[in-house]
Amino acid sequence: MIGVELRKTFGRPRTWTTIAVLNALPVLVAVLLRVTDLAPRPGEGPPFLSAVLANGQLYPLAALAIVLPLFLPIAVAVVSGDAVAGEAQAGTLRYLLARPVGRTRLLVAKLVAVLAFVLVTVVVVAAVGWVVGQLLFDAQPVAAGTSVSGTSLTAEELAGRTLLAIGYVAVSMLGVAAFGLFFSTLTDSPLAAALGALAVLVTSSLLLTLDAASPIAPYLPTRYWLAFVDLFRDPVLWRDVVRGLALQGVYVGVLLAAAWANFTTKDVTS
Amino acid sequence: MSGHGRARRWAVVTALVAVLLSLPAVVGALPADDADVPAAELRDAVLASAGVAFSGYAVSAGGLSLPVSDQLPAVADLLSDRTALRVWWRGPDEHRVDVVGAAGETGVHVDPGGTWTWEFESATARRAAPAALALPAPPDLVPATLGRRLLSEAADAELSRTGARRVAGRDALGLRLVPAAPAASVARVDVWVDAGTGLPLAVEVVADGATVPALDTRFLDLDLTAPPADVVGFTPPPGARVLPGEDPEGLLREAADRELSPVRLPAELAGLARREVAGAPATVGVYGSGVTLLAVAPLPGRLAARLRPSLAAAPGAVSDEVGTRIDAGPLGLVLVEPPRSGAYLLVGTVTADALAEAAAALAGAPS
Amino acid sequence: MTSVVVTRGLVKQYGRVRAVDGIDLDVRAGDVYGFLGANGSGKTTTVRVLLGLVLPTRGEVELLGGRMPRAGRRVLPRVGALVEGPAHHRHLSGAANLALLDAAGPGGRRRDRRRRIAEVLDQVGLGGVGRRPVGAYSLGMRQRLGLAGALLRRPELLVLDEPTNGLDPQGIHEVRELLLDLHRGGTTVFLSSHLLAEVEQLCTRVGVLDRGRLVLQDEMAALTAPTGATVVDTPAPERVRAVLDGRVLGTDGDRVVVRGADPAEVNALLVGAGVPVRGLALQRPTLEEVVLAAAGTSADRVERS
Repeated sequence: MIGVELRKTFGRPRTWTTIAVLNALPVLVAVLLRVTDLAPRPGEGPPFLSAVLANGQLYPLAALAIVLPLFLPIAVAVVSGDAVAGEAQAGTLRYLLARPVGRTRLLVAKLVAVLAFVLVTVVVVAAVGWVVGQLLFDAQPVAAGTSVSGTSLTAEELAGRTLLAIGYVAVSMLGVAAFGLFFSTLTDSPLAAALGALAVLVTSSLLLTLDAASPIAPYLPTRYWLAFVDLFRDPVLWRDVVRGLALQGVYVGVLLAAAWANFTTKDVTS
Repeated sequence: MSGHGRARRWAVVTALVAVLLSLPAVVGALPADDADVPAAELRDAVLASAGVAFSGYAVSAGGLSLPVSDQLPAVADLLSDRTALRVWWRGPDEHRVDVVGAAGETGVHVDPGGTWTWEFESATARRAAPAALALPAPPDLVPATLGRRLLSEAADAELSRTGARRVAGRDALGLRLVPAAPAASVARVDVWVDAGTGLPLAVEVVADGATVPALDTRFLDLDLTAPPADVVGFTPPPGARVLPGEDPEGLLREAADRELSPVRLPAELAGLARREVAGAPATVGVYGSGVTLLAVAPLPGRLAARLRPSLAAAPGAVSDEVGTRIDAGPLGLVLVEPPRSGAYLLVGTVTADALAEAAAALAGAPS
Repeated sequence: MTSVVVTRGLVKQYGRVRAVDGIDLDVRAGDVYGFLGANGSGKTTTVRVLLGLVLPTRGEVELLGGRMPRAGRRVLPRVGALVEGPAHHRHLSGAANLALLDAAGPGGRRRDRRRRIAEVLDQVGLGGVGRRPVGAYSLGMRQRLGLAGALLRRPELLVLDEPTNGLDPQGIHEVRELLLDLHRGGTTVFLSSHLLAEVEQLCTRVGVLDRGRLVLQDEMAALTAPTGATVVDTPAPERVRAVLDGRVLGTDGDRVVVRGADPAEVNALLVGAGVPVRGLALQRPTLEEVVLAAAGTSADRVERS
């Protein structure tokens, strides 16, 4: 079943269009940076963007940081919101369930397919970022990088931490995916499900900027998204990374349980 | 039939959510062990804790909005924002404090020969020599450092114990300082002290008449093993710009000495006695003790004229015949411009009345 | 004869509306069961309950001997279904759609999947459709593809909801032949339809649904059994009445209904009396008459209360 869902996800042109669009923004930013040579002022703009003019090897991270706040979650919300509601709208859901495919099994397969989409997307963004970084910016001559804390990193350390960061960004999207999947079992409209997941994200991002919401801030799904920067401190600051992983795990667990409770007892009338 | 299954499944989910939601509350409600340590003894333990090595993660939240965001943005952010700090402490002259930002960090590495300040976004490293007088820097907000500083001149009569609490997973004994000086604008300082080492783990400064702390800094993680020296030390990475540090002391002295004729400051202001501060220029007077301090600096006329509008524009600024005054939590600031003499800037943790009294005394004093 | 579909006291309630109100279905192995009912009478809801898509409010459902929806994993692979029109992924070809559906559930062996897909596509007349995406199919082609999906695993039971929707007369004829062919091969067919003619031509057993209630369920042969009367076609109905006084049940133009289950006897009497007879037949009720007698007004008619 998981194989079927993967084939469905990656067999449709829309998936690849989404990934292509997602890559357009970092490439555009890179070209503009290269042409104008105007890096954002320190402390402004996405993380690592101010540093890429000096070191092109950081561009995969800057690319991730560019798509992380908006583009990536929108793509994940659309794909995950489509998971069950899309099948319901097309009418294929009833044939899948009558095939029969267990409802729990279908949910898990859908989640895995969304995860695969997230992972592929993040890896593609990082890879395109790497290529763009190599082509447009100066790579550091000693083939090494500087950590955020000002220590030198060997090329292997930098590569390892970049891989960790890619993994962390992918995990950060799990919460969005779980929201999309849950909403997707509530409605037969993929658009409504995607908008629901996005509404949660916008609410979360908005509350994070509000002092009055600080007591609930540690539980907001977007709270630890930027913690991938912590992987480039020296020593690595694991605190927020660990919390981010745990928080996403909790969201996935709870929402998957809610999706299961709803979907397995739901009348499929689409 | 289906109705029951649905109710049961949702009950499972609800129970799961309830357990997850209650977990933080349960962990937070873990009781702390109190110990029967007298307040004075606890203060002595705090003051002797500078050599305790540790590494940790602290968060400070300040409510001081100083009207210096244009001139000294770093200082203004430090005192008015939420600041996350990583600390590696091997000793008073060998430690590292990183201010962790969402997109970068500023690291202060102190060694016996001076201080390296690393700024990631601009890839700049600054080297400064040790100085007696400095602008507020991230290390000053570390609970351990701040607690020691605030308690350094506390008298026994000003101290009391306030139970125990868990801070960073450790039992912390409460120590309350209520300044005795009538001019004090600080209502109280609560320091939560690690029972084992005397290390202050959390510090709350509450201004007169306020309920929310004006400054609240606490450890969230603490590890009492000594951090390795290579983590604390700093070598500028290849490609970084290396600059000499800023020298506030020199700036101050230059401004004070060059443009002003010597002024004689009174020995007492608003009931606070003048004290000697090592490294401070002679023209700057510091009064009071403990957490009740008042600094008086004569200002060149040009500087005063530049400062006045920015002070007057600050929220809550009061302009009257004495001068332009601002209250920022426990911190008060007044710019006095007497008609026939030079201007003074008064800054201190004193009440508005005491500040006005000091300003009047200066304006009336023969220069 | 074993029962393939059994429901007992099946009720499905949506809010305050009872879509299905106490249905006791009984479909036996080897039946071509016609599930008749007007639009909105609860046919589709019943079909969905049978397949485990909709969970019943009350009552039991047995499919191929297993209690639904629990036994779905065991029995549904032996059931082929077409529910409320076909549905496919529009960007994929018909064969790709079938392959995905086959791989999704149990019982779809990978080894002979291509062969089985080619076979059913031939069977429904889509053998030469190639790699065209389903989005470019006509309505009738999609209906055929849906049927192919239902046939893919050679099911013991076919549950078909309006299978001839969108087909042209030739297509309808082909599908009818296909279903009869499958039936001869031992497949039980459960055919839900609002088309009387379709059911009449195909089915061996009929259930009639009216506003959520099963008002009739019997063998087609029993429903349309001779009534014991003979219909006489004659240019002189008044003379029939004169000859067979007391046995005439009714007259409708040139047609006279006469009591008596032996047309030969009636014929002999009439011819003996010199009455011209154009034709004689045993009287059988049409399915339409049976259904109209059993069910009330159309369900989508809204009367003033």
